[in-house]
Amino acid sequence: MKKFLALLLAVAMLFTLAACANETKPDPNSTKTTNSQNPTTPTDSKLAVCLASEPDTLDPALNSAVDGATMIAHLFSGLAKWAKDDSGKLVIVPDAAKELVEGVANDDGTVTYTYTLRDGLKWSDGKDVTAKDFEFAWKRAASDDLGADYGYMFEVVDGYGTDSLNVKAIDDKTLEVTLANAVAYWNELLAFPTYFPVREDVVANEAWATKPETYICNGAYTITGWEHNSVITLEKNPNFVDADKITMGKIEFYLSDDSNNMVANFKNGTWQLIDDVPTNEMAALKKDYPEEYMVAGQIGTYYVCWNIGEDILPADSGLTGDEAEKARAEIRSAISLLFDRNYIVEEIAQGGQVPASSFVAMGMTNPDGTEFYKTAGHNDGFDGFYNVSKDAVKSNYDQAIEVLKKYYNYDGAKFTNFPTMTYLYNTSEAHKAIGEYLQAQLAAIGITMNMENQEWNTFLQTRKNGDYSIARNGWVADYNDPICFLDMWISASGNNDVQFGKGEHANAKIYSLDLTDLGYDVKVENGTWAETYDVLIKTIKGCTDNVKRYELMHRAEDLLMSTGCICPIYYYTDTYMINKNVKGFFSNPLGYKYFMYCTIEG
Amino acid sequence: MNSKTMYYILKRIGLAILTVWVVITVTFFVMHAVPGGPFMSEKAISASAQAALEAKYGLDKPLLEQYGTYLKDVVTKFDFGPSLKQRGQMVIDIIGDGMKTSAKLGVIAAAIAGVVGIVLGAWAALRRNKLIDKIIMVVTTAFVSMPSFIMGSLLLVLFSVVWMILPANGADSGGLILPIITLSLYPMAYITRLTRSSMLDVLGQDYIRTAKAKGVSGGKIIFGHALKNSLIPVITYFGPMLAYIVTGSLVVEQIFAVPGIGRAFVRSIINRDYPMVMGTTIVLAVLIVVMNLISDILYKVVDPRINFE
Repeated sequence: MKKFLALLLAVAMLFTLAACANETKPDPNSTKTTNSQNPTTPTDSKLAVCLASEPDTLDPALNSAVDGATMIAHLFSGLAKWAKDDSGKLVIVPDAAKELVEGVANDDGTVTYTYTLRDGLKWSDGKDVTAKDFEFAWKRAASDDLGADYGYMFEVVDGYGTDSLNVKAIDDKTLEVTLANAVAYWNELLAFPTYFPVREDVVANEAWATKPETYICNGAYTITGWEHNSVITLEKNPNFVDADKITMGKIEFYLSDDSNNMVANFKNGTWQLIDDVPTNEMAALKKDYPEEYMVAGQIGTYYVCWNIGEDILPADSGLTGDEAEKARAEIRSAISLLFDRNYIVEEIAQGGQVPASSFVAMGMTNPDGTEFYKTAGHNDGFDGFYNVSKDAVKSNYDQAIEVLKKYYNYDGAKFTNFPTMTYLYNTSEAHKAIGEYLQAQLAAIGITMNMENQEWNTFLQTRKNGDYSIARNGWVADYNDPICFLDMWISASGNNDVQFGKGEHANAKIYSLDLTDLGYDVKVENGTWAETYDVLIKTIKGCTDNVKRYELMHRAEDLLMSTGCICPIYYYTDTYMINKNVKGFFSNPLGYKYFMYCTIEG
Repeated sequence: MNSKTMYYILKRIGLAILTVWVVITVTFFVMHAVPGGPFMSEKAISASAQAALEAKYGLDKPLLEQYGTYLKDVVTKFDFGPSLKQRGQMVIDIIGDGMKTSAKLGVIAAAIAGVVGIVLGAWAALRRNKLIDKIIMVVTTAFVSMPSFIMGSLLLVLFSVVWMILPANGADSGGLILPIITLSLYPMAYITRLTRSSMLDVLGQDYIRTAKAKGVSGGKIIFGHALKNSLIPVITYFGPMLAYIVTGSLVVEQIFAVPGIGRAFVRSIINRDYPMVMGTTIVLAVLIVVMNLISDILYKVVDPRINFE
């Protein structure tokens, strides 16, 4: 009997396991062995990578995710692209366009660019790529009907917001576009997925971007396989004009967002690049895989924002109106000095992040090549608006206490009449840990800050509506120009989480702006946010002199930081792991990763 | 089958439909009451674009009207609408894709749990207080008390990283082996314990002693009399087990990156992809209701003494 039962059990287990094992035995090292056998025949080469879970869309106009943009950069070819030059520097170079021409200024201040397309450009189904495809794609991407997240990327083009975006195909090879005014980062926009061409008859099918058969593209690769939520396979596009320069034959994008799973697949050699690493394993991975653990800069800032309408003065302060508004700005700025950002990046975040001393992130450069954040705040002896060096922690702290003493009762160790606040963050261990650090720092001086977490989508809504006192926040650049950190704070912006220029703050006349030294007829003393900041941003957007424009952007950041509503914590980094045998890989400051010129050695 | 049984089954089917309707209605209104929306993102789209999208998907209409339209489409056309987030895809296709994998995962896990659990349970009962019984009890106690996310992570590290014998990714061939084992361990252990105690109970009954006294062979007693009767409690566990497998697969699919319905469900809620939330909720609700119904009817089949009144 015993034997019989044991046998039955064994058979049952074997049977069920075999049923799910499919036909082939898995070999985690299969990728590696195939590649090592064919180091010299690049068309056979294959990469397996994992960036994130299934992208919401691979329609270049609709995509707003970094992982989606990476795939689209392999699938489409716009007028310009990111590339590495001979010295290894990242540059924007012409792609579908013969050259990236200079604009011609018109009498009304608009600027017209006329691009000529290269010869031999083909769609993956063999049809010619024409200027008409660009015209159609741009008008589509900018339209309200499509409702693309990044529709506003066309804001700089003349006619944006009306039905007639000022772009037209003169003939099959010539595209003419007119911008409302000169734009310093125009070439960079041309390399942005939202500006990539799509063909009218292809996108007429609303489901075109969900299946390999209907996904007609014009880039280095085509989609040859798409198992939803598991893997997207890209193979070299034989119709691509520069196909001979592409060294990687096949790229498999596995779709998962579980960082522990990614690490398992990286460690056993199944995947050659993973774009996420669990925070609690960072230290160990960095030590065990020194050649493969990478930290790249990413243009973004993790920060804490205040609701400008939140009254943080003591009930008996006696301050009202503009006086109170000024006092609150001073208090908020002081509180920002209580936090040790080095501790946060080293002990909590652990991903090689850089302590932030300004809102415009590290990675943006001034016209003279210096870093924008280093010249922010116009301070001597340190970069940015406050000193984030380890030596300055004590003096920052003391300075903050002195300011707070002016407004609150201090019993020698603690403030006794600071109103209770609530810190809002979206549910995540990492955000919680940072929130708890801030909470502890405030508690040490008698300020009570409660913690409230909300699920992501609810959190976005609450923060947008301004139903909070202090909230966790973050911003990552869409293009390499400081304006994308600054224009979000104008009164009418949809991303104005601080609620500048709204509610009572609309009437607060405490801001000054003087641009007469730069040759503008703008001088406001004690004006509202709309009269100063909004005007300043408008001036920046109309400014064609690059040096002046950067000076204006510095002033905008000064004005923004003077409110104390933005408390920068750190500049983001992009942590990923890449197999050391993979050569020729690069990524751009926006976090897009490029595999087309990769080879596998060893 | 007598008329009483027929009446009971019809009543249960009616109740099942009512249950699904209540689930649809509650989910629909709760979902819309939750803050946020499908077009909410960190980088806000313009108000005019948002309005255009809402008009396109009918989200600008009064809630009751949306509810009426939705119910009508689902009931009359079996149309779950388009996904709001994965533009260009229909909800029914996304669910179909995910269900293929999830169903495979769930059915095989349930089969393993049932077969292995019953065999082990019976074995332990027959060898009561012997070494093998004790081993089985200790191991199953461990499996019952270990949550699937710990078990999953443990198996992942051992089999995929340390020994490198099974893939860590559910998309690869053979990638479902680890998720299936993870998912089946808990119900398997539970069924083992259930079968063991119920078998012991049955073995002590008078009719078994009678059969023994009459000289019936050991195998015939066990397979002909004891096993069948000791399976009644196991069948009642069928419903809860399915619920466990459905919810458990949410966790397991995440750990092993399995392209199943569980991940799609969680993601749709975070995204406020209303039609996706509704579609997956309905599918899961129908599944659980139907399985409970089957389990109740089976109950009657194995034990004719059970009265449906």
